[in-house]
Amino acid sequence: MADATTRFFKDLDRRGYDPLLAKSSGTLRIDLHEGPQTTHWLVRIDRGEIQVSQQDMEADAVIGATPALFEGLVTGRENGLAALLRGDMTLTGDARLVVQMERIFPGPQHAQGPRRYQKGVR
Amino acid sequence: MAPSHTVRILDGNTFVVSEATGDIEATPTEPTGLFSIDTRFLSKWILTVNGERLNALSYDDLQYYESRFFLVPGLATHYVDAKLSIIRERAVGASFRETITILNHDEKAVDLEIRMDAGCDFADLFEVKDEILNKKGEIYSEVEPDKLRLGYRRGNFKRETIISSSTSARYDPNGIAYTVHLEPNEQWDTAIDVQTVALGPGGKDLRIGLSIHGHERLALQQDLDEWIAKAPKVNSEHGQVSATYQRCVIDLAALRFAPLSLGGQTLPAAGLPWFMTMFGRDSILTCLQTLPFTPELSATTLRILAALQGARFDDFREEDPGRILHEMRYGESAAFEEQPHSPYYGSVDATPLFVVLLDEYEKWSGDVALVKELEQECRKALRWVDEHADLVGNGYIWYERRNTDKGLENQCWKDSWDSISYADGTLPPFPRATCEVQGYAYDAKMRAARLAREFWDDPAYAEQLEREAAELKERFNRDWWVADGGYYALGLDPDGRQCDVLSSNIGHLLWSGIVHEDRAEQIAQHLVGPRLFSGWGVRTLAEGEVRYNPIGYHNGTVWPFDTSFCAWGLRRYGFAEEAATIANGILDAARYFDGRLPEAFGGYPREQTKFPVEYPTACSPQAWSTGAPLLLLRTMLGLEPHEGHLAVEPRLPVGMGRIEVLDIPGRWGRVDAFARSRLDLDRLAD
Repeated sequence: MADATTRFFKDLDRRGYDPLLAKSSGTLRIDLHEGPQTTHWLVRIDRGEIQVSQQDMEADAVIGATPALFEGLVTGRENGLAALLRGDMTLTGDARLVVQMERIFPGPQHAQGPRRYQKGVR
Repeated sequence: MAPSHTVRILDGNTFVVSEATGDIEATPTEPTGLFSIDTRFLSKWILTVNGERLNALSYDDLQYYESRFFLVPGLATHYVDAKLSIIRERAVGASFRETITILNHDEKAVDLEIRMDAGCDFADLFEVKDEILNKKGEIYSEVEPDKLRLGYRRGNFKRETIISSSTSARYDPNGIAYTVHLEPNEQWDTAIDVQTVALGPGGKDLRIGLSIHGHERLALQQDLDEWIAKAPKVNSEHGQVSATYQRCVIDLAALRFAPLSLGGQTLPAAGLPWFMTMFGRDSILTCLQTLPFTPELSATTLRILAALQGARFDDFREEDPGRILHEMRYGESAAFEEQPHSPYYGSVDATPLFVVLLDEYEKWSGDVALVKELEQECRKALRWVDEHADLVGNGYIWYERRNTDKGLENQCWKDSWDSISYADGTLPPFPRATCEVQGYAYDAKMRAARLAREFWDDPAYAEQLEREAAELKERFNRDWWVADGGYYALGLDPDGRQCDVLSSNIGHLLWSGIVHEDRAEQIAQHLVGPRLFSGWGVRTLAEGEVRYNPIGYHNGTVWPFDTSFCAWGLRRYGFAEEAATIANGILDAARYFDGRLPEAFGGYPREQTKFPVEYPTACSPQAWSTGAPLLLLRTMLGLEPHEGHLAVEPRLPVGMGRIEVLDIPGRWGRVDAFARSRLDLDRLAD
């Protein structure tokens, strides 16, 4: 299953380190619910060092979402904090870990970023 | 009822705004209510006795989190005949709790129907000043045997208000009622508890585990007592200065705010009632003002802003890697991305100011660990200044909003639409740059150079930063100087044309250190001159400019926070006398507001109005107005950390008498500072 979520976690595991998580340590479990089925991802963070597995075990923070929403997060279509506020993503445990993890999701695909001023072009 | 007669109590970002009777009957012009996490949880809360509304004899704000109302039934003319007294006492903590006591003063027994009408529109904080017509979700009211549940549901977004009484009551969809028989001189009490609930689909509240302190009344009192005990003591010969200081310390306690998901750490929120959330700029500037008194706020502010530092490009939120956030909100409009505050990054000053605060904090606290902890965030912030903020490519910080629908046009502290103009009154095109932000960038580089050399073990980076800062200073003094006025332009347009008005922003330039020594005297004279100095403080825009208006939000009013940074700037360049003059104006003005300075007041000349005219919709208490007297105390006493010690070099306004500040915390432990002003010879002669 090479969906965007799987690619995201595989890539994260391969990278093995993310400077945005350098101050974080703990375990974060992602439960993706679809009907009776739940897919688990477990991210272990040790001061930026990252290991990903699909174990279903107790974690410092657990987030729950639909596979569709989570795919939106890892492809930059959805924003994690807005999804939490909306209740589309749930959170139990250490919220700080989730807020830090959220920052490694990409921004919107078509974001332009700051635009350089060019005289006469407006 | 005028907004100034509303009663406000709060705890964190839960607060109540009500009429003087304690009633809540929200309208767009009187946006009262019980609010939490940027959502209204009660828009109607009306107490009646035998179908009659009550009238207020008096109310007391006991503490920032509790108040008490003394009421009688009937109209004002009937007061003398009142045979009943009603006392409402309320407090906010984790929940909102109201105790109602009714006393029968009659010689006869009475039968009473007591009713509390309750209702809620679940308005987002951004909606409360509008008619709320088309909520996208469903509002409901459910009656249970022992509670009334008011709710709002939109998809998985769910907010509920749960109302329950300590004594037996009848619940209906619009409130709760009691039938009471009171013998002569008998009294009746009940307590009504109102829980605000923000539920996710798992049924867990978003805010679990977030209390700043216990929420029981005693815990709140104990927390406030500890806060006051920990702050330095200020004694003054003229009691007013110490009274203002005490007011500010308590208001700072009230303004502490624990952002969701950051483990209960607190930082100063921007202001009550509409800005009880974190703002990068407001929180940082308030920390800078209050460092000598409440340094712990700075450490948490730095950590929280670092944790939410921008990490990617997002045009809706105007997020860039390294950028420090502008504003965070938790309401429906942020949740559904109808507003960009999750968080919104549209400010250009918070990022360099973040670096400035870290350095200033270290100078006071000696907290090297935090400087090391935040090294990467500082480097990223400085990279944002160079790589993402220079939209024109000429070495300055510029702004042009990318969220053209909801984003801020002006991303500096003067963020109203018409705050930046040319001398002829017209508005410049975008991108725009304002002068004070270039000063902050200069200061950030100079300060980061010190951090790099002393703590990050990177002298090459330090040299690079100092070189860049020196070049910026040269460039700035060339491009921004208005030669015929003898001051710096407020802004530049993208073609390099100056917004050549005289503004208070030049005071921030002194504070930043970007002003050439040989020009400082001219700047100082402007700041205390008749065009900028009103007698109470420094006008945001000078009298005589086309857009000058004494009650123009950023075009002529006096902002106490702004003046306090001008005073700091004057002191930095050695203009102690001038700093004392404007400090005196603000501290005098504080007397008219019982020590609680509003966000802004009119720019009218002092001799004309004799008292400071409050700006109509000013927010109060506001964090950086609360911080202003504290920064002015620092500048008057000349408190400056110097090689591990606290240097004291006082210069008080003439006639201020003696001031002592005891137990100033810092790397030196705790030390005291004493000052005495020169005598007012004119007054002696009288």
